[in-house]
Amino acid sequence: MIRKARAAWRGNSGAAHAGRFTLDRQLRATTSVMPDIAEIGAKVGALIRQERPLPVVLSSLCQFFDATLEGCFSSVLLLECAGARVRNAIGCGLPAGYMKQLEGRAVKWIETPFGARTNKTPAIVLEPLSNTLQKSQEVAPGATPCLKLHELSPILSLTGEPLGIFAVYRRDPSAEVAHFYSALIPRFTHVAAAAIERLRSDETLRRSSALLQRTQRLSSTCCFSWQVETDEISCSKELCELFELGAAEVPATLEPIGARIHPEDLPSFHEMIERARRGMNDFEFECRLHVPANSSKYLRVVAQQTARQQGQLEYIVVVQDVTQRRRTEEALAKLRAELARTARVTSLGVLTAAIAHEVNQPLAGIVTNASTCRRMLAIDPPDLEGARETARRTIRDAERASEVVKRLRALFYKKGAVSELLDLNEAAREVLALSRSELERNKVIVRTDLGGELPPVLGDRVQLQQVILNLFLNASDAMSGVDDRPRQLVIRTERDEADRVRLSVRDTGVGFEPQEVDRLFDEFYTTKSDGMGIGLSVSRSIVECHKGRLWATPNDGPGATFSFSIPCGRSAAAVRSLGAFRTSVAGAVDHHVGSRRQ
Amino acid sequence: MVERPLVSVVDDDESVRESLPDLLRELGYSVRAFSSAEAFLESDCLGETRCLILDIAMPGMTGPDLQHELAVRGQEIPIIFITALADETVCTRVLEQGAVQCLLKPFSETALFEALNAAFRVT
Repeated sequence: MIRKARAAWRGNSGAAHAGRFTLDRQLRATTSVMPDIAEIGAKVGALIRQERPLPVVLSSLCQFFDATLEGCFSSVLLLECAGARVRNAIGCGLPAGYMKQLEGRAVKWIETPFGARTNKTPAIVLEPLSNTLQKSQEVAPGATPCLKLHELSPILSLTGEPLGIFAVYRRDPSAEVAHFYSALIPRFTHVAAAAIERLRSDETLRRSSALLQRTQRLSSTCCFSWQVETDEISCSKELCELFELGAAEVPATLEPIGARIHPEDLPSFHEMIERARRGMNDFEFECRLHVPANSSKYLRVVAQQTARQQGQLEYIVVVQDVTQRRRTEEALAKLRAELARTARVTSLGVLTAAIAHEVNQPLAGIVTNASTCRRMLAIDPPDLEGARETARRTIRDAERASEVVKRLRALFYKKGAVSELLDLNEAAREVLALSRSELERNKVIVRTDLGGELPPVLGDRVQLQQVILNLFLNASDAMSGVDDRPRQLVIRTERDEADRVRLSVRDTGVGFEPQEVDRLFDEFYTTKSDGMGIGLSVSRSIVECHKGRLWATPNDGPGATFSFSIPCGRSAAAVRSLGAFRTSVAGAVDHHVGSRRQ
Repeated sequence: MVERPLVSVVDDDESVRESLPDLLRELGYSVRAFSSAEAFLESDCLGETRCLILDIAMPGMTGPDLQHELAVRGQEIPIIFITALADETVCTRVLEQGAVQCLLKPFSETALFEALNAAFRVT
C-alpha cells in the first residue's frame, strides 16, 4: 500500500519533471526576486498557441509558481460550470492520490468581505476537506514534513464567473514567505483565468465547428457568405465537395460556382444574382448542377441578407444537395403520372366504349337505311315510297345519335358553379403545386411573377383553376419538342388598367401562326396528335362566364402567351350567376353538333 | 320464281331490325328479324336459315351464346356477327368458333355484301 503510494508520488513528480522548462531553473535561482510575470504569461501563451491541453498549460503554470517560491506548492482546481464542485485538480508538486481526492468535492463560496482577499472576491470553503495534508501519512512517516494548505484564491472569469481555485500549500507555515507573495497570487490567478477562458472558448469553437461540419455532412448541406459588392465568398471545403470543385480550387468568388450550374438553369441563376444585387431580401431557389462525373445534381439554395453595414450587402447562403430527394420525387411523380395516365386511359377507354356503342347503333341504322334508299332509287322504276321510308328512318336515327350526345353532355356538366371571392395568385399557386411534377417531368422551368396586392376576383375556383391548369399543360405540351432552348414557363399575374386581374402564361414552345389565332379556341381544333381540342374552347367559355376574356398572342421570340383577365371582386358584382356557364357551354357544343350534321 | 335464300337477323336494336332487312331484301334475300336469341331459337326457321346475322351484345342470351347453342344442336348455319363495340377478343373468339365475319357497326354495304358472299360460299 505504502509502496504503491510512493510510486504514485514519484510517478507524479516524474511526470511533472518531464514538463519542466529551462525557465524553471532560472526562476528557482532567483527566488527572492519578483519574477517577470509578463514572461510567464508569454510562455503560457505559447503553450496555448501550440494547442496544448488545458491541464498541461495549468500544470506548467503551477510549476512556474512552485519554482518561484521556495517551500510553496500550488495547484489549480478546475470547477464545473456552476462553480459548485471541483472537476479536476491540477498541480505537479502535490501527491496524485491527494489530488484525486479533491475531484468531485463541493465548493462553498462565502460572500463575506472579511474572508475575502479583495472586496469583490468571495472567500472559499472546500468541504469537507481537511486543510492539512499529512504528507507523512502517504509517504514515509516522519521522513518528510507535512504540507499545509496555506491559501485558496478564486480564479474568476472576466465576467466574474468562478472558473477555478488557485490553491497554495506550504511545507512550513511558520516560515516567512517572499515579500512579493501577495502581489504574485492575483497575477497567477489572472494568467490562469486567461488560459482557462481562452482554451475553453477554443474548445467551444472547435466543438461548434466540428458540429457544424458534421451537421453539414449529415444534411448534405454547406454554407458560405457572399459579399455582394466585391463578389467575394468565404466558404468551407464542404462547398467544394458539393460543387465537385476539387480541394485545390476553393472558390473566392461566385464565378466558379456559376460555372457549375446546369446551362438550362443559368438564366434563372443569373436573374437571382441580379435580384440579390438589387437588395432583394431573402431568397431561395432550386437549380441543377452540371457536374463532370455523374448526371445532374439538384441543389436547393436559401439565402438570407445579413447586416448591411456602410452599404455592404452580404448574404448568408445555405446550399443543400437535394438530389436524392428529387430523384425519389421524380420516380414518385413518374409513377403517379403513369398511374394517372392509366386511369385516364382506362376511364377514357370505358367512356369511349360506352359512347361508341350508343352512337354506333344509330349510325349503323343510318348507313344501312341510306344504302337501301340508294338502291330503291336506282331500280327502274324507283321505289319512291320505300326510299321515302328509309330516308325517314335515316333522319330518325340521326336524331337518336344527337340525343346520345346531349345525354353525355348533361353527364359532364352536371355540377353547378359556385361563386366566391378568391385570390388568383393562390389559385395559381395551388395549380402550380399540382402540376409541378408533370411540368418537371417535361423539363419545364417554371418562373412565377405573381403580382403583389392583387385584388380578389369573384368566381368559381375550380373552374378557373381548370383554365389555369389547361394553360399550363398546353404550354408544357407546346414545349415538349423544344431542345435548342430552355423550356421556360412564366406565369404572371397583375392588375390591369381596367380594374381587372390578368393572368398570363408564357412559354417558349412552338407557338402558332398568326392566321391560326382565330381557330385556336374552336372546339375540336387541335395541333396535338393526342389532343381533343376541347381545352381552350371550354377555357374560353369559363372565362367568358366570369365576364372575362381569354386570348393568345405570339411572343416576340419563340413561343406564345395565353392570357385571361377577369374583373376584380368589387366590379365583378356583374357576374350574376355562373350557372349560366352550363347553358353557354351546352350551346357551344349544340352548335358544333348542328354544324357537323349539316 | 327462284326461291330466295333466308337470312335471319337477330338484334335487340330496333333500327337495325328495321333497316337491315330492307337492305337484305334489296340484295335479293328473304329476311326474318328477331329481337332476341331466344325468339330465334323458338321460331320455326332454324332449319331454313341459310345465314344468320347476329348481334354480339344483347340482354339475355348473347350472340356468342347463341353461336354455342347452335353448335351444340348441330345446326351449322353460317354466322355474320355485327357489333357496336370494337372488342377484339370477342371478335377473335367468335371467328375461331367458326363465324364467317365480324362486322363493326356502322358497316358499309360493301362489307356486308362481301360477308354474305363468304357465308354463301361456305354452304
